[in-house]
Amino acid sequence: MDYDKLVSMAADAGYLLIANGAEISRAEESVRRIFYAYGAENGEVFAIPTFINVSVSTPEGRPVTAIRRIPSRRVDMGKVDRANDLCRRVCRTKPKFESVEREIRRISAQPVFPFPLQVAAYALVAAAFTLFYGGNCSDALVSFLCGAAIRPICSLLERLHVNLFFINVAASFAAAAIALCFANFNASLNYDKIIIGALMNLVPGIAITDFMRDIIAGDLIAGILRFTESLLVAAAIAIGAGIALTAMRMLWGV
Amino acid sequence: MYYLPCLWAFFACAAFCLVYNIRGKILPLSSFGGALGWFVYLSLNFLNNDIFQFFFATIATAVYSEVMARIYKKPAMEFQIVALLPMVPGGGIFYTMEYCVIGNNEMFLKTGLHTLGIAGALALGILLVSSLFRIRSAVPGTKK
Repeated sequence: MDYDKLVSMAADAGYLLIANGAEISRAEESVRRIFYAYGAENGEVFAIPTFINVSVSTPEGRPVTAIRRIPSRRVDMGKVDRANDLCRRVCRTKPKFESVEREIRRISAQPVFPFPLQVAAYALVAAAFTLFYGGNCSDALVSFLCGAAIRPICSLLERLHVNLFFINVAASFAAAAIALCFANFNASLNYDKIIIGALMNLVPGIAITDFMRDIIAGDLIAGILRFTESLLVAAAIAIGAGIALTAMRMLWGV
Repeated sequence: MYYLPCLWAFFACAAFCLVYNIRGKILPLSSFGGALGWFVYLSLNFLNNDIFQFFFATIATAVYSEVMARIYKKPAMEFQIVALLPMVPGGGIFYTMEYCVIGNNEMFLKTGLHTLGIAGALALGILLVSSLFRIRSAVPGTKK
């Protein structure tokens, strides 16, 4: 058996899972199951949200290792779902490595929702959360605009390779600034409800709910990493909205 | 007046499913989990302690997600990630920041600690349910 290809394929499968927001324990277990299925029982895997390392010893005792850095992670449950199914199928049917690699490439190239629909989704999240937090219909309408502004700003800054912290500061500033501008011209708007609703798009819900699951599963480093990330994002959101609030107060005395 | 906030929670979760690229029948199911959690939160209003309310609402949502995950053979996370969002203290973070900007230190600390308490209640609820379900799937014969 070609151990080089096995290790490379297992690393790619793990990468695909983690880069799209799967739990660490799930990714590690999937890789371990693949090793078992192909009869490499001594295979080892170690993963944290930014890195995955897999290693196998060949029958001659030569270690084969592959590492992958995971520079950015997004949440794409559709891809996690398909990658998960792929791993199960691989363990059952043990297909050729080439066909698995092809499948992995196909899943990672699978299109997400088109950009206008993504903008609409962000806007809907903002509007729905504004209503949920007790805003009225005109609040939801303004919040819809704020939410729609967040997605283009994020994707523009991502294309410029700006870091995650600053992206959140900028997006949160923009959303809060739009809300406060509207609130300045129409005093009946609840600007707090609008801003909170719009910022729910950025709140690291995934990190808050995920880090506990990672820690429980014994992936302490992964859990701490996610916890740190969620603290950073929360701080960035607060800073961005805080700048907007302070600036508006100085400009107009809202 | 329980149904309206629960309905908004449902729609908010459904919109988030689009952001997280969750499609098919998981979309309404996980959104229902969000509405269920908020219903539990509101119906425990008599406790007069919202940290306990959040704790029990989280437990209800997490149990729902784990059960659904076993019925539909999908990762529990796919349900939980969206269903827990209405409980995430976005409002707490905002008001903490606002008091900080205004310079009201007393309220800043009070709101900040309260927000931390809510986040802790969430984390503890997930911890409890996740551990319990792990015990069950570790018992031989119950898996799959």
